[in-house]
Amino acid sequence: MSSVLQTIVEKKHYRFEDSVPSWQEAVRLSAQSLVDDGSVEPDYYRQIVSCIEKYGPYVVFEHYVAMPHSQENASGVHKTGIGFMCVKEPVSFGTDEDGEEKVAKLFFTIAACNPDEHLNNIQQLMDIFCNEALLDALMEAQTPEDILTAESEHPSDGEC
Amino acid sequence: MATLDNKSFLVCCANGAGSSLMMKMTMQKVLTKLGIKPGKIHHCALSEGKSCASSYDVVFCARNFASMFKAAEEKGTKVLGLKNIMSVTEMEQALRDAGLVD
Repeated sequence: MSSVLQTIVEKKHYRFEDSVPSWQEAVRLSAQSLVDDGSVEPDYYRQIVSCIEKYGPYVVFEHYVAMPHSQENASGVHKTGIGFMCVKEPVSFGTDEDGEEKVAKLFFTIAACNPDEHLNNIQQLMDIFCNEALLDALMEAQTPEDILTAESEHPSDGEC
Repeated sequence: MATLDNKSFLVCCANGAGSSLMMKMTMQKVLTKLGIKPGKIHHCALSEGKSCASSYDVVFCARNFASMFKAAEEKGTKVLGLKNIMSVTEMEQALRDAGLVD
């Protein structure tokens, strides 16, 4: 079975940017590859943006990783998938409750309508998010081949 | 160490689809590591969680959401806010700090 990163490459669910003007635009762009093949509706990203506006930047984790997502069975989702985006210049989501700035360079935007596939995606993403060497390599990625090379050079062991 | 056996756990995030699932997986790693056999485990969105939290023994959520569970806390539910929802170490420490494990 393909890994989530292999699937991202196979389905062309990736995007590489030097910089983006705002986190809202980053969320929109990170979902664009999912829009392009009909996995989600063009306005799916708006649900994610309004959720972050309401609850704060909780989708931004450590080590420059963001996992923008809406609900399971959110409206406008037709296929379960992950839109990957790498931005060279860190994107700020503002500060959290401790006044710490939340920044991201790697975006894994989630669309979920098939619970089993979604669970499998989340499990694999967790392994990736805990694998700092892999994240460092992904931050340098400029092509889909770079994504695959990063994964083969830094396999995840599932330890956090 | 068996104090948490058969206790019920709720994990909550804004949507109930992404971070709460991750937190649930982190929790399963922690419980396995500590040899705890939990009772019920449920993950859901904040909107649902706020109304059912008091029927659980322990609630895990991202730290910025912890204050939303005041009512449940007053009824005796332990509410533990986490900074890094994927950190086994942090979650284990949170259980220790709350006096839930030795």
